Amino acid sequence: MFPELSFNIDHGYLEGLVRGFKSGILRQSDYLNLVQCETLEDLKLHLQSTDYGNFLANEPSPLSVSVIDDKLREKLVIEFQHLRNHCLEPLATFLDYMTYGYMIDNIILLITGTLHQRPISELISKCHPLGSFEQMEAIHIASTPAELYNAVLVDTPLAPYFIDCILEQDLDEMNIEIIRNTLYKAYLEDFFNFCKGMGGGTAEVMCEALAFEADRRAFIITINSFGTELSKEDREKLYPRCGKLYPDGLEMLSQCEDYDQVRTVADYYAEYKELFDDAGTNPGDKTLEDKFFEHEVKLMKNSFMHQFQFGVFYAYVKLKEQEIRNIIWIAECVAQRHRAKIDSYIPVF
Amino acid sequence: MEGLLRSEEMTLCQMFLQSEAAYTCVSELGELGLVQFRDLNPDVNAFQRKFVNEIRRCEEMERKLRFLEKEVKKDGIPMLDTGDNPDAPAPREMVDLESTYEKLENEMKEVNANAEALKKNFLELTELKHILRKTQTFFEEAMHDPSMSDETMGLLGEELPRSGQPLRLGFVAGVILRERIPAFERMLWRACRGNVFLRQAEIESPLEDPVTGDQVYKSVFIIFFQGDQLKTRVKKICEGFRATLYPCPETQAERREMAIGVMTRIEDLNTVLAQTQDHRHRVLVAAAKNVKVWFIKVRKIKAIYHTLNMFNLDVTQKCLIAECWCPVADLDRIQQALRRGTERSGSSVPSILNRMSSKQIPPTYNRSSKFTQGFQNIVDAYGVANYREVNPAIFTTISFPFLFAVMFADMGHGMIMFFAALYIVLKEKQFGARRIEDEIFKTFFEGRYIILLMGAFSIYTGFMYNDIFSKSLNIFGSQWFAPAEPFSLATLSEFKKLQFNPNETYTGSPYPIGLDPVWQMAQNKIAFTNSMKMKLSVILGISHMFFGIALSLLNHRYFQKPLNIICDFIPSLVFLFCMFGFLVLRIFHKWVAYDSSMSQKAPSLLIGAINMFLFNYRDEHPDNPEVYHIPGSLQGFQCFLVVVAGLCVPWMMFFKPFYMRHQARFGQFKHQPLSVQSGDLLNHDHDFDNDQEVVHNNDTSGHLHQEEEQEEPFDFGEVFVHQAIHTIEFCLGCISHTASYLRLWALSLAHAQLSEVLWSMVLRIGFSSSGVGGAFMLVIVFMFWACLTVAVLVLMEGLSAFLHALRLHWVEFQSKFYSGTGYKFQPFCFDQILDHSADD
Repeated sequence: MFPELSFNIDHGYLEGLVRGFKSGILRQSDYLNLVQCETLEDLKLHLQSTDYGNFLANEPSPLSVSVIDDKLREKLVIEFQHLRNHCLEPLATFLDYMTYGYMIDNIILLITGTLHQRPISELISKCHPLGSFEQMEAIHIASTPAELYNAVLVDTPLAPYFIDCILEQDLDEMNIEIIRNTLYKAYLEDFFNFCKGMGGGTAEVMCEALAFEADRRAFIITINSFGTELSKEDREKLYPRCGKLYPDGLEMLSQCEDYDQVRTVADYYAEYKELFDDAGTNPGDKTLEDKFFEHEVKLMKNSFMHQFQFGVFYAYVKLKEQEIRNIIWIAECVAQRHRAKIDSYIPVF
Repeated sequence: MEGLLRSEEMTLCQMFLQSEAAYTCVSELGELGLVQFRDLNPDVNAFQRKFVNEIRRCEEMERKLRFLEKEVKKDGIPMLDTGDNPDAPAPREMVDLESTYEKLENEMKEVNANAEALKKNFLELTELKHILRKTQTFFEEAMHDPSMSDETMGLLGEELPRSGQPLRLGFVAGVILRERIPAFERMLWRACRGNVFLRQAEIESPLEDPVTGDQVYKSVFIIFFQGDQLKTRVKKICEGFRATLYPCPETQAERREMAIGVMTRIEDLNTVLAQTQDHRHRVLVAAAKNVKVWFIKVRKIKAIYHTLNMFNLDVTQKCLIAECWCPVADLDRIQQALRRGTERSGSSVPSILNRMSSKQIPPTYNRSSKFTQGFQNIVDAYGVANYREVNPAIFTTISFPFLFAVMFADMGHGMIMFFAALYIVLKEKQFGARRIEDEIFKTFFEGRYIILLMGAFSIYTGFMYNDIFSKSLNIFGSQWFAPAEPFSLATLSEFKKLQFNPNETYTGSPYPIGLDPVWQMAQNKIAFTNSMKMKLSVILGISHMFFGIALSLLNHRYFQKPLNIICDFIPSLVFLFCMFGFLVLRIFHKWVAYDSSMSQKAPSLLIGAINMFLFNYRDEHPDNPEVYHIPGSLQGFQCFLVVVAGLCVPWMMFFKPFYMRHQARFGQFKHQPLSVQSGDLLNHDHDFDNDQEVVHNNDTSGHLHQEEEQEEPFDFGEVFVHQAIHTIEFCLGCISHTASYLRLWALSLAHAQLSEVLWSMVLRIGFSSSGVGGAFMLVIVFMFWACLTVAVLVLMEGLSAFLHALRLHWVEFQSKFYSGTGYKFQPFCFDQILDHSADD
């Protein structure tokens, strides 16, 4: 009757934990200190005074950005695995859903890599550990989508999403992108329905977040498809149909032919209008991608305002990813002595 | 006395250290551990400070040492902990240390790389050996399985004539992790559409993974297939599942030959491996001897540089300026340490220690011995005392175990507790040296003296209540007797229960000490002990609170706040006396003035107290001389007390704020501290050299001084609200706290009842049967009883009584005088730093 009443019995500990993790997310003052760093060693020294603690203590100097990236990611993965290992249903399914997105990315990465004749071991190290699965490494035996499905993906949770892609004939660059987006579309819609089915605060928060994710994809697909051979009909098939743009906005998007038309579509939606208005390509302006990230951060921060719901877990991982992107951005700027753009990170708190 | 009652007198000092002498001086001070440095560059980032490079080098050294330690632990070599504590090495020795560690690390890495390569080789050979052995059985089975060979023959027979050439089945053999087999098999089936044949066998003994050194279980597999396309596909799958493939000859003779070759190579490799291991072991053993000492050295260097980073650089760059809190009594020792440090560095210019005056509140530093430390921790857990405030720890050493014992009153359980604690206390050196990390044991170990005293006091209170494992001791002989007249043998045998009349069966003089053992057998034992314990707890509670209020007088006098004495101390004392002090007097009066012959006339304390507050002196039974009447003069006195108590409330609430407003308006007493228990020292006499201080460090800590100089404007509303809250809290608190002290009775009752239940329900069963069976039974039952006694009565009940005693001290006692809003003195001390980093 009131799921909130019994929420804490099963998930209270983990919610508390994740809220604790959240308070360790770097703040504006930390970033201000980070951008002052002269070398990566300075960066390491400052990160030591934050929640990251001694995560780099056992790395021999000189540090490289990729080591920092690995360690940052490793920390997130450890935290996520800890949550996943301690959770009960339905949170377990929810957390599993969160990993499917990484699985899709990994599959696409591997297929693209094998197309370019890269050795599988080199590709595996680039995969996101949250999205790894057992059959992943054998992916390069497949040369057609049907094979991919029958041999590899049929045992993974992604199998139902893949059904729409089997028709494709060959694995080339274009088709891989189409597969990625089709998979993502099916995944987002499934996740959306799952969250909606959960009801309560989870539905409220997660539907908002996933709707934004779906709309962002729709915009990006449209913008990226200009100048390619993707037909309008095919493009329309790739739009995830769970966002706020559905159905009218998607209809209009599918007819767009240049950036300004996309912008006109966004004008019908208050929150997206704002993003498109502020974005620009001039130096000093924020790119549309950054604006999307900023909006995402805002949404994710809001989800911590709700109690007794799973959105916090999703939000935490997303915020943490943003933080990792920020640190890496700063680290790259520091390492390459290219300080002009060091300030274009997206502060979380 | 003053040293125990209040925290140390502290002073802010400024140090001028020559650049070259600073390191050694700080090192000496770290050994001493009496100085708390202030960070003079709070605005500077960690990586922009002066000695950040040295700290980084230390961290690098630590990393190398951790690496060595990990390797040493991996090999299970004991690390020598001699317990010696080397001085921090001089800065120039740092280079030597660095090179030593560097060399060791590189050597270790080289050895590891070699060992890994060798192990990898070894693993491959072992896997190959297993493959050859297992495939042998596969092939043999295939030969000897008649049905299978039949089928193959049949199939081949059909096919042979058509194709004209023999059908060649290709195969690959390899090794795979055992847990990946199911997925591997499924994938093979799907990817090759069932056109492959897989046989697998487990390798029984675990193999060592050369990279991680873990033991892993693997399986041998062999896959048969037909055609090249399938071959590439199978190989890809094998690669995907990280299976290692090995060449496997087709004929038996070749296989045997290969097996022999493999065996010899394995043997060769084994000798090489053993030598590598030996070398590694030698290196590590040499390192293990020093690792602990190295750690201490590096950590000390790091701590020193961290401290130096907090210092200010002089304009001329010649000397470093530090600010620190230190106890006044130890200034000489600090001076000496500085002198030693300067000498050691060979610097000719002495280091200077300057006392400064400051309006900042100094940290609280309570010196404690290993005995008082536990009690000090109890007090500090509530809140660290304000600077120079009365420190209740010294009183807690006695009152805490005593109040605990009142609730835990049982000689037997007290003795168990006492001797357990005594054992730990006598063995404390051994236990301390062993550094046991177990949290529960640590708690007990740190509280060993508390437990010792709690046990001792429990024995005492148990003796007073005459309670040992819920039984009584009849040491002096009961003062009650059964005269032969009404209690003939016949009556005694006839009735199960008989009533004693205290006027006839009591000798008239009480049992010399404690409770008369006869009550143990009495039916109305609980009614009797309840009444006694309840009165006792009220008496103890009220005196405890009076004591707390008395301590507040010490605070007011020390901080020179006569206003607080008049407006807080006196009214609260009067209030408490009028409300409950009088009740205590009546309890004593009732005990002394009435004996059993006058029990009818004895006053009821509870009704009396209620009527006193209601001014209700109506006589219920005016004609009955047997009932107690309050004499007229006492009636008047009681009315007076209630009225005085009522007057105390406005006295406390209004007098002080209005008086202070008056003062504020007319300009006197500007410096009178405002808050009730702020305990600051604004009015002391250190104003003379403020200017000098500002000159010394106006560049960095200017903002701190601004903060200091601020004068609090007088805010009547705030003071009034504060005082009103304090008054209401105190008055209501008096009543609720008195009621709260009744837990002394309640827990004691619960404890006594529980142990009685345990006796009658468990141990008595053991006594019920006789003979050999009974003896066995008694042994078993006693075991139960003893376990339950220790687990439930001593540990659980002890914990509960401990918590209640803790509450009585924190809430009921300390609220009367203790504000506990100070901050702790945290000296720069190597021992603590080393302890902490050892924990990590």
